[in-house]
Amino acid sequence: MTSLTSFLLLLFTAVAQAISSSGSRLLVVLEDVAEKAQYSKFLGDLEGRGFEVTYETPKSDSLSLFHLGERSYDHILFFPTKAKGLGPNLTANLLLQFINAQGNILLALSGQKQAPTSVVAALSELDIHLPSERTGLVVDHFNYDVTSADEKHDVLLLPTPGALRPGVKDFFSPATPNGEVLALPQTIGQVLGNGALLTPILRAPATAYSYNPKEESEVLGDELFAAGKQLSLVTTVQARNSARLTIVGSADMLTDQWFDAKVKKVDGKASVATVNREFAKRVSGWTFNEIGVLKVNWIEHHLNEEGQGNQSNPKIYRIKNDVTYSISLSEYEWDHWAAFQVPAEDDLQLEFSMLSPFHRLSLKPTVNSEESTTYSTNFKLPDQHGIFNFKINHKRPFFNNIEEKNTVSVRHFAHDEWPRSYAISGAWPWISGIGATVTGWLFFVAIWLYSKPTGKGESKKTR
Amino acid sequence: MAVATASDPSPIQVLADFGKSKSLRTLLRVLILCFIAGAAVSSRLFSVIRFESIIHEFDPWFNFRATKYLVANGFYDFWDWFDDRTWHPLGRVTGGTLYPGLMVTSGAIYHALRAMTIPVDIRNISGLLAAAFMGITPGYISRSVAGSYDNEAIAIFLLVFTFYLWIKALKLGSVLWGALCALFYGYMVASWGGYAFITCLVPLHAFVLICMGRYSTRLYVSYTTWYALGTLASMQIPFVGFLPVRTSEHMPALGIFGFLQLVAFIYYIRSALSGAQFKAFLFVGLGAVFGLALLALVAMTSAGYIAPWSGRFYSLWDTGYAKIHIPIIASVSEHQPTAWPAFFFDLNMLIWLFPAGVYLCFQDLKDEHVFVVVYALFGSYFAGVMVRLMLTLTPIVPPKAKDPEQEDVADISSKKTKQSAGSLRSANSPYVGVYSFLSKGLVSGIMTIYLLLFVLHCTWVTSNAYSSPSVVLASRMPDGSQHIIDDYREAYQWLRQNTKEDAKIMSWWDYGYQIGGMADRPTLVDNNTWNNTHIATVGKAMSSSEEVSYPIMRQHEVDYVLVVFGGLLGYSGDDINKFLWMVRIAEGIWPDEVSERKFFTPRGEYRVDGEATETMKNSLMYKMSYYNYHTLFPPGQAQDRVRGVRLPDTGPVLNTLDEAFTSENWIIRIYKVKDLDNVGRDHAAAASFERGHKKKKATKKRGPRALRVD
Repeated sequence: MTSLTSFLLLLFTAVAQAISSSGSRLLVVLEDVAEKAQYSKFLGDLEGRGFEVTYETPKSDSLSLFHLGERSYDHILFFPTKAKGLGPNLTANLLLQFINAQGNILLALSGQKQAPTSVVAALSELDIHLPSERTGLVVDHFNYDVTSADEKHDVLLLPTPGALRPGVKDFFSPATPNGEVLALPQTIGQVLGNGALLTPILRAPATAYSYNPKEESEVLGDELFAAGKQLSLVTTVQARNSARLTIVGSADMLTDQWFDAKVKKVDGKASVATVNREFAKRVSGWTFNEIGVLKVNWIEHHLNEEGQGNQSNPKIYRIKNDVTYSISLSEYEWDHWAAFQVPAEDDLQLEFSMLSPFHRLSLKPTVNSEESTTYSTNFKLPDQHGIFNFKINHKRPFFNNIEEKNTVSVRHFAHDEWPRSYAISGAWPWISGIGATVTGWLFFVAIWLYSKPTGKGESKKTR
Repeated sequence: MAVATASDPSPIQVLADFGKSKSLRTLLRVLILCFIAGAAVSSRLFSVIRFESIIHEFDPWFNFRATKYLVANGFYDFWDWFDDRTWHPLGRVTGGTLYPGLMVTSGAIYHALRAMTIPVDIRNISGLLAAAFMGITPGYISRSVAGSYDNEAIAIFLLVFTFYLWIKALKLGSVLWGALCALFYGYMVASWGGYAFITCLVPLHAFVLICMGRYSTRLYVSYTTWYALGTLASMQIPFVGFLPVRTSEHMPALGIFGFLQLVAFIYYIRSALSGAQFKAFLFVGLGAVFGLALLALVAMTSAGYIAPWSGRFYSLWDTGYAKIHIPIIASVSEHQPTAWPAFFFDLNMLIWLFPAGVYLCFQDLKDEHVFVVVYALFGSYFAGVMVRLMLTLTPIVPPKAKDPEQEDVADISSKKTKQSAGSLRSANSPYVGVYSFLSKGLVSGIMTIYLLLFVLHCTWVTSNAYSSPSVVLASRMPDGSQHIIDDYREAYQWLRQNTKEDAKIMSWWDYGYQIGGMADRPTLVDNNTWNNTHIATVGKAMSSSEEVSYPIMRQHEVDYVLVVFGGLLGYSGDDINKFLWMVRIAEGIWPDEVSERKFFTPRGEYRVDGEATETMKNSLMYKMSYYNYHTLFPPGQAQDRVRGVRLPDTGPVLNTLDEAFTSENWIIRIYKVKDLDNVGRDHAAAASFERGHKKKKATKKRGPRALRVD
């Protein structure tokens, strides 16, 4: 959660220049700096969006991801390299450290070049697996580009991905999808583990499979790396600290050549233009925290009872208090913070928990403004004292994680907060009993004192 | 002898006797009392001189903390105190679950001194309060040396004073003294859970008296006054609440109260009816009432209106009970049956003078002597089954033991020294004794030597056994100079300085109060063992493997884990030695997941060396204790000096915890609980990657592919 000052600072910079929500220092790692000409449109777009791009080769001595323990760059963009390793400045350990330090990585791989060992090792830690030979080509005999890959069938033509599942916001399709296609030449497929942090953006169609073009075997049996939907072509990882890593299986799709190529489907009548450029913008924008970034502006909870003080965020409540909880959220959209709307079919939930949740409630939007939405709910605290947390644990694909915990103590009734005895009708018999005893005793004493003692010492005995 | 006089509220006696005594005798008496008080206070200052002004043991730390809260927030806040820094995340309704007597007393003294513009810190009061009360018997000193700011510090004084008032009320048959007795009984209830001893002893005394045919209106008046007012007073303490009418422990008092009414009624009837009629009435009426009352008691107990005897109580009859059914009670060393030497250690020669004193009571049996006999019998029994209850025995032994001495001395000096006896022993009938000068001299000489020996013993025990604060350990250097081992405070100070203010510390419950008091950090469990399940949870986390413990620690939001390890120094009170209790307590709740048997080798040994069982080696406690320990020694020579074994060369591996702090002598080790892995690996995999191992290729595995399911 950024503090208010940094938020304002960000706001000012955002006004001056469209920029990522988490810094603009972008490192581009290329085999040769001259190679950047191939990607001039893509890189130009990035620079146009305000990134300060530094170009380095893996061998460069000046390349260092950290300086004095701080990140030197906010984002890294890897293009495929020829070398097997990436050298001592880009080891798997350093890459993971970079992610742990909330740096974002966009990794473009290619079916023609081996993925470097350190990248493979790092990805394997994330439970993403590349073909074992470190090269593998995805082909599809039904969805290829007739114009460029009539023989090899290795230029896939795919529709834009659409929403992952209902309730998940679609970040990667053009604003108005109109049957456009993505062209993915020489793609390397990835197989994902079942971790919750991994989300594929673009999967291979059911008819696609991955094979090693160097092995000319007729039959593909057990050796098959993966096929169909199990092959992910563009994959995202969002670590628990919301650092993002995206793997684009086809670096070629980011080249100028394919940004505005004309392609033709197998059964297509005419050539159509690809939407690679738009897709690349969205994928890089997501990876570099330009979209899908949520921010908690503030959290407030207070007592919602008549005649009670309206203190904000008290440390302690009493059991069975009525409480209001509100959270203000903003979503970053390319260059500004906007109101965050929970997608339809999704829900923003609040847990009130001690060891396990006592309440799990939907938060409803109450106040909408240009830059934020306030979600709130009212509820009665449980009849259990203890140290509770107001917990928001909102983890959705493509949005950064919101994990907010506000601890409050819930105390028991104080000795003077119970209803008085006379207010409880069940106590009346007892109260009247006490009254009767008291009156009776006084009466007895009065009689005793005013009656003449009959014998000596008897009064003492009875006392 | 000295002890007894100090325990007496003798000033009253002194005043009462003033007219009868000669002025010289009074002066002597005052002087002697002053000397006794001086001795009593100074013997308690050993620990302050030896170490420093520091609060001892465990419970006093809580009392200290509670008193600070009381002084800072006032009485009503204290009364309604919800403590969110213990028993995380359950919290503790502290105001309603403590005996507030000690804190309120200290608070009152504090405010009084402040009002007199004497600048005083609450710490000073807590330190010295204990010293201000009773005599020098070691048994009692164990709980009342300066710095031992415990409930017992004032409770024993109150216990004795309540008994004194009870005897007084009984002798005079006075409502006033009965009410005073009830008042001090109320104070006692507010101070110590041991009040149940009075609650049971007084009715027992009354019952014995009635059985002996010693019923009198004095008994009736004093008992009913005490019971009615005392019960009402005790019910004002939130922790006690309705217990006096709902639990079996309090039923004798209620029963005797009813019984007394009956007896009184019968005495009245007898005065009004003829003998035969009365007899018939007695049999029928009494039998019916008794039967009905018993029936009602049984019915209400089975219906749940009256709680049956608690487990703690059963363990008083069957010393093996707790070990089987309630390990948490048995795990406390104070709850163990007393060893015979402890009697001699704590009471010295009083132990053999004591029976003689009891015998002498029979010589001249009055109501109060019956009380003393009953007390002596029960006190001895309870002291025998539980070390802690030695405390209740202590007050009665000196007065009783003093009796035979007095008799001796009285004989010798032919009644010349009419002693300043306490109320318990107020009237000695003249006694025919020895008159030969030689025997006089011999006996008095022997007695003097005994007394001197006693004082020596008491002083020795006080200075050596009971004046150690247990927070600070002392050892001797080779040259004989004292070396202070201060690991506890070092570690607690580290916690205070280096962790977030709300960092939750998980440790075994023994250290809960100290962490709360000295480190000021929230703990999961502490010495107020009110929730057995929560303690068992900690026990389970300690005795399970990391994979099992980690989710438990996450769920309880644990930030740091603290263990006590004595292997380097040979400090035997460490966690590995307490470990089996953790296992047993955890097994009581999760018999399927934790098994004590698995911590023993097939041959039934409890081992920590290379031969230890896998369960033992994988347990979190073992790993935390021995983590990196072998690096202190040359290869092959790692040694555990408490258990006297050689340890394997490779130490345990910890994946879910990071070592955060280890004290100078390795007594306290603190570990930080790691966060979940940032990229979703399990901790073992993440740690193995950190160590530079490559991940095993999953693809090499044969068998069905693991498909991703979305």
